[in-house]
Amino acid sequence: MKEPLNVVIAGVGGQGNILFSEILAKAASVENFKVTVGESYGMSQRGGSVSSHVRLSREFLYGPIIPAGSADVIVGFEPVEAARAALEFGSPDVKIIVNPRPVYPVGVLMRKDIYPEIIGLIKKLKEISEQVVLIESTELATKAGNPVAQNIVMVGALAGSNYLPIAKEAFEEVIINVVPPKALELNQKAFLMGIEAAQELIA
Amino acid sequence: MGWKDVALTKKGNAVLLNGNEAIARGALEAGVCYASSYPGSPSSEVIDTLSKISSSDLYVEWSINEKVSLEGAAAASFAGLRSMCVMKADGLNVAFDFLTSMNLGGCKGGLVIVVADDPLGHSSVKEYDSRYLAKAAMVPVLEPSTVNEARDMVIQAFDLSEQLKGPVMLRSVTRVSHTRGLVTLNKLPKMRRKAEFPAGECFLTKTIFHMKARDRLDKAAVIIEESGFNYYEGFEGADTVIFCCGTSLLYAREAIKTLGLQNEVKVVKVGTTLPLPEKFILNHLQEASNVIFAEEIRPFLEESIMILSSRHNLGKARFYGKITGDVMGLRGPACGEMNADIIIKVLANIKNLYYRTPGYDPEVKEELGTMIPPREYAMCPGCPHRASFWAVKTAIAVDGRDCIVAGDIGCYCLGAWDTGFNLFDTLHCMGAGPGIASGLSKLGRFGLERPTVTLVGDSTFYHAVIPGLINGHYSGSDYLCIVLDNSVTAMTGHQPHPGTGINTCGEPATTVPIEKIVAGLGIPCKIADPFDNKNATECIFEMLRKPGVKVLILRQECALVQARKQGKKKRRVYVDQTICRGDTCGCGRFCTSVWGCPGNIWDPVNGKAAIDEAVCVGCGVCAALCPADAIVVEEVY
Amino acid sequence: MEVNAIVYGAAAKLVEEVLDTDLCSGCGACIGYCPYIKTIGERVAVIHDCNICEGVCYRVCPRASTNYQLLRQEVFGSAQFDPVLGTYENMYFARAGNELIHTKGQYGGVVTAIFAYALKQGLIEGALMTGGDFTRTKPAVVSTVNEMLACTGSKYTASPTLSLFQEAVKKGFQNIGIVGRPCQVTAARKMQEVTEIKGERISLVVGLFCMESFTPDFYDYIKENNLDEYYRMDIPKDVQFERNGENIFVPFDEVRKFVCKSCYSCFDPLSELADLSVGSTEHDPGWNTLIVRTEKGAELVKKAVARGVIETKPYPKELLPLLRKAVFYKKKRVLEGPDTNYLELTPYERKYFLATGVDV
Repeated sequence: MKEPLNVVIAGVGGQGNILFSEILAKAASVENFKVTVGESYGMSQRGGSVSSHVRLSREFLYGPIIPAGSADVIVGFEPVEAARAALEFGSPDVKIIVNPRPVYPVGVLMRKDIYPEIIGLIKKLKEISEQVVLIESTELATKAGNPVAQNIVMVGALAGSNYLPIAKEAFEEVIINVVPPKALELNQKAFLMGIEAAQELIA
Repeated sequence: MGWKDVALTKKGNAVLLNGNEAIARGALEAGVCYASSYPGSPSSEVIDTLSKISSSDLYVEWSINEKVSLEGAAAASFAGLRSMCVMKADGLNVAFDFLTSMNLGGCKGGLVIVVADDPLGHSSVKEYDSRYLAKAAMVPVLEPSTVNEARDMVIQAFDLSEQLKGPVMLRSVTRVSHTRGLVTLNKLPKMRRKAEFPAGECFLTKTIFHMKARDRLDKAAVIIEESGFNYYEGFEGADTVIFCCGTSLLYAREAIKTLGLQNEVKVVKVGTTLPLPEKFILNHLQEASNVIFAEEIRPFLEESIMILSSRHNLGKARFYGKITGDVMGLRGPACGEMNADIIIKVLANIKNLYYRTPGYDPEVKEELGTMIPPREYAMCPGCPHRASFWAVKTAIAVDGRDCIVAGDIGCYCLGAWDTGFNLFDTLHCMGAGPGIASGLSKLGRFGLERPTVTLVGDSTFYHAVIPGLINGHYSGSDYLCIVLDNSVTAMTGHQPHPGTGINTCGEPATTVPIEKIVAGLGIPCKIADPFDNKNATECIFEMLRKPGVKVLILRQECALVQARKQGKKKRRVYVDQTICRGDTCGCGRFCTSVWGCPGNIWDPVNGKAAIDEAVCVGCGVCAALCPADAIVVEEVY
Repeated sequence: MEVNAIVYGAAAKLVEEVLDTDLCSGCGACIGYCPYIKTIGERVAVIHDCNICEGVCYRVCPRASTNYQLLRQEVFGSAQFDPVLGTYENMYFARAGNELIHTKGQYGGVVTAIFAYALKQGLIEGALMTGGDFTRTKPAVVSTVNEMLACTGSKYTASPTLSLFQEAVKKGFQNIGIVGRPCQVTAARKMQEVTEIKGERISLVVGLFCMESFTPDFYDYIKENNLDEYYRMDIPKDVQFERNGENIFVPFDEVRKFVCKSCYSCFDPLSELADLSVGSTEHDPGWNTLIVRTEKGAELVKKAVARGVIETKPYPKELLPLLRKAVFYKKKRVLEGPDTNYLELTPYERKYFLATGVDV
């Protein structure tokens, strides 16, 4: 196994990257990895770019910031944010799981900046990475009952992709412990939909 | 998040905590009785966590500012209890007058001051290095490198504080406070101290006590010389040594591993950065040829060690640090945060190694870069501040005297960006707006004819605005102070304040309404709802044209708090595209490209506006402002 | 705040040519259709740059380029026009037949009487009128006689009544009447050509005589001098305030500073483009001067007289030269002053006032 394994979770403030990274970190520690999660909760939550860096190691504790070009997996809740993460932390070996639903930045809405054509952006990402998997997590989460569970669909997608040596049972165990009881059914459904979607595409 | 794990009494479990939760846990394991703070990222989660598990054995308080917060914590320490005060670096400035006084007379029960710096300003408008303040105050500083160490250091800090009978500072940074790692829980103490303030015992401030403070620091130097928080890793005889503290330990380790220099480089980790463990450091300094300094923000450790080296006439080593310009990121030395790449670069340079940074070639990066638009901050959908800013913008434009807008700190500081219509002319620190407004309005005699309006928040009001208002009123200033009251301390995570009617632990509490305070000061005060935008605009316009100091409270609940209360949305908002004017005269994409709420999106297929129902909260302000009345608000039952 | 500069598009042109030069007469025509031009307390401002070049705002502004000859053609066809008084069919002294309207009116109550009649006859469904009083105006969209009655009495500040036009449109009115100052009449005629804003729904335009209007600073003056305790204000020569028979007079020079700068560039004291123009007689405060200009206006007056809604008598011949002289010299003064670049007059018209110096 590569030492360490580096996962970047990139999205827009409010999309739930913190819960995602918590679930991933706890699942990893169930599998006896040493885990570090680096992120920031603060002003960036106000519609800015947010990211979590998760580092898994068998050997020692790593710092909370992944070095340039060293991500193994990028999970993008939004296509431009996935690209932004790839720009800094990607390499030809990186694998990307991305929700292609755009969230337009203020600058784009105010017509100062241009939002790229998503098909073109995904094509570019495919050219420069090992694999890009599109997961319509917002749609799936809406089907499961609430678009807010989009991040849990992505947890499922990561689990189903088998990019990381973490069994899906580890994720399931953690979800039960972490999620409030009344939301459990929704989250479990979302998780399974994510797994299915990933497995369909990667198989 | 992890507060439930923090509250566990069973020792031995390894739980995933962030640095702030680990600090909270450490305080509990050390037997803390009193914990207070004012919300400030990246420190807020310490008290957020403790406030959920407060009990008769633990008093937890969100104070109205850091000065009052530290005074309260010190009082508990005077009474022999262990107490903790938490703040961000900016908050230390506010508490500093009291800290420097209190440190002279000293304290009794362990008093730990947790200060969290924010390198790169992830959630701050500045990135100061609080260790320099500790030095000026003559207060010892401990710097944790990992989440687990943060917990351990808190416990040691309490012990040290009691040995010294003076406060001790724990300096965290964003990348410790907001990083998550595994912490193995220790047991929680059972014994409970009794608060005692014996007659005859006093805590005074006298100039002669500077000697006491100095002596305390000397005593601390002896104690920390033996501290287990200072250690080295790697090859003992290495001629290249990295002196580091805090997060830089992990970055240094990774840099060494990446370059394969485990047998050539030694890492000397200093956990007690003030005072320095001189013997320990000299030991590793003496035989070094290349000395690298790695720390967050300014070259505090670097300067201290260079002075030490100079005192002992060590001329052998070549220094590489922020002062020499070798240790730096994108913003140059001493600005921005540390990471492994910065250290890799220095090491590769010293060791004459060619290191190809992994990732893409520059051409690939350049091409990809052109496809990625920047993402500036945006106020949340339904944020009342957006409506308030629009009312201010309109009123000022119609007033026509080119009003100066003095902004302040909080969620509404976004008035300095596009999302807040670039309204602010000044933006400084908590409560600075009214003070500046007070000064500006005196300059008529020197030819300044522009009126002033200052925008402050509700929590900011209690924190720092009242003195500025009194000064303005008393000295005959002319300005309008608009209080953006969203009934919560929002930016930092929705903590309560004296206007909310609930206390730190979520129980009902006395309210101290802002309008009553303003009325008590003899200042005219009005209240309006920013969602009734026309009325709010007219209020601002009218009040701007009256003399004297005036206060207008624009009161409407924070959208995120509303959403949590309501659960499922009660209103559905959508655009009737047959009426929407879109790009044409009479609109020009007002809702999407000017109003800018994330809920208002553009439908390029139909060339009309639309509502993103996934994020819209149903406030209806865009519907009221739409010039064509094309936006429909429906009650959903 | 460079970021917020207004530099490009129709609104920018409006700012550059009319607002920043203080030429704005506060008519309100540019307000109400778009979200970027606002009025509060009788002040008008563009609050944000819309970047749209073919803007309605510039097209309807009476202080943007205004070709009176073209507008006259649109309103009057090829009817004869008098360079001093404008095109007209007849001139009368007139007053309301109804006692109540007559008493409430500033002079003869003719405007209110005519509009109430037009409303009752279904000629208009609603109207833009100015309510409130001389201490504070309140423009309103009215659709009942009582609402119209509440708008009687002269006001002397520049109330942007036209800003409510879209409100009237949104109420569904297909025929809308307007009572306005001359600048508002000109704007209304420009608005009638703009289908985006449903300007074609303007169907009756009554203009007032106006020599000058005051800025909202006048309200402060009134308040500071306790003049708001009076019920009626008039400017026969000096400024008259009256309350229950008690009169006080303020020299006009004391309030001259409140005259809108725009009024010094106004070439139309008698609302020449209106269907009917109504003003004081400067002779008998119980009557109005009524100028009937268009066929529509003539038709309406004929019916109103027949029903006793208004009473008319011929305009006294001996007063005509006085009226002509006043208007002639006003127009001459304006043409001799700066800030008339917006006026696209024929050389004939210019010469008439500037060459001879005398009304022929």
